[in-house]
Amino acid sequence: MIEPPGGPALLDAARKTLLEELLPALPPDKHYAALMVANAMAIASRTARRDRAGDERIEARVRSLTGSGDGDPWRAFAAAIRAGRFRRGTPERAEAYALLRGYAEARCALSSPKALKRTG
Amino acid sequence: MSLLPDDATRDRLTGWLADRAGARSVVIDETRLLAGGAIQQNWKLVVRVDGGPHDGVQEWVLRTDAQAVLSHSHGRLDEFALLKAAFAAGVPVPEPLFSCVGQVVLGRPYFVMRLVRGTTAPRRIVRGETLGGGREALTESLGRILARIHTIRPGLSGLDFLPPPPRAPMPELIADFRARVDADGTARPVFEWGFHHLEQLDVPTDEIVLCHNDFRTGNFMVSERGVEAVLDWEFARWGDPLADIGWFCSKCWRFNSPHEAGGIGSRAAFYRGYEAECGRRIARDRVQAWELFAALRWGVIASEQADRHVSGREHNLELALTGQIIPELELDILELAV
Repeated sequence: MIEPPGGPALLDAARKTLLEELLPALPPDKHYAALMVANAMAIASRTARRDRAGDERIEARVRSLTGSGDGDPWRAFAAAIRAGRFRRGTPERAEAYALLRGYAEARCALSSPKALKRTG
Repeated sequence: MSLLPDDATRDRLTGWLADRAGARSVVIDETRLLAGGAIQQNWKLVVRVDGGPHDGVQEWVLRTDAQAVLSHSHGRLDEFALLKAAFAAGVPVPEPLFSCVGQVVLGRPYFVMRLVRGTTAPRRIVRGETLGGGREALTESLGRILARIHTIRPGLSGLDFLPPPPRAPMPELIADFRARVDADGTARPVFEWGFHHLEQLDVPTDEIVLCHNDFRTGNFMVSERGVEAVLDWEFARWGDPLADIGWFCSKCWRFNSPHEAGGIGSRAAFYRGYEAECGRRIARDRVQAWELFAALRWGVIASEQADRHVSGREHNLELALTGQIIPELELDILELAV
């Protein structure tokens, strides 16, 4: 279907060129912008490679916990938390906390794997 | 970009400066846009003042609005009033000199303050071992300075533009930030977890003071001598002093440094400076709640900033990337709201 290398590999190659060849040739006042571009490319590459099956598994658990059916499971989860459904002492609190932790960790692995390592 | 696009603008500004400075004349030798500030512009002015109390060569900063103005920040003239109040309270700030309410001179309001030298670069500050007399000395002096800010109390004339003091700061902030999450539109279950946790803690407030509301590494200027100036007063409001203490000590403003007080030094040094200056003990058992609120507040702001790009209102990579810090903040929130 697609001509190799695919999107993530192209992004990685482009990022390497940006950091190794272009950045040293840029005036210092453009370094920050170039580093932001490199960061955006890294996030886009990791996002394209992510484990979509993992996303679906965690969403299925949230649906099951909140009974949210076909709607946005995260919206239903947020509303249930605000309504106090998982307050201290409730049986589903530990499961809710574990799901939130998994949700934050999965997104942090894409946005900032270094931060995930620090907090993990 | 130019502050003085034509001779007529230059003439208007020099005439206005001379009038305000009580001088016979003012000549502008240099205007330069200083780095930083998506919301405000800071222009360095090197001026020759002839006569009056400012006679001689002066280095001033003219601060005005950039195009995009954040709805939760003060206008420049309110900021000028805050600087005057802080200066009078003995807080190191750039000395506020003159303000212009009308649009006639530059087409927008602005004010002029004295130029201050030093660094605001967070990574330089948290890695520096000698800045401000060393880590612990600098941290202790920051505690003292924050306590001095907190001597400013409701009722002070000149600050009438601030919203009235809150009766119950934490519950009111929770309601306000929940509303902002709702307006933003993205489901944020971890933020909800944090807000709910804070609600259950039912954090009381002992006193209402002027909170800087962005007192953190990166928003004060430091030199080898010490803290030269506290900057960025646009979010200041009446509130619980612990809000500033929590914001300063929160993990999200330590810049990956192991030092708990702003990434610079120990929490003990910061508390010591604060308590020595104000003579009251910090309610240590409440600080963690305010650190949790700090992570939530920064998370909501980051979401709003990213939305300015995502919505198509503003094409800006920096804003787009700001949203990418949210998962990391969520991990901080979950760590504090177990």
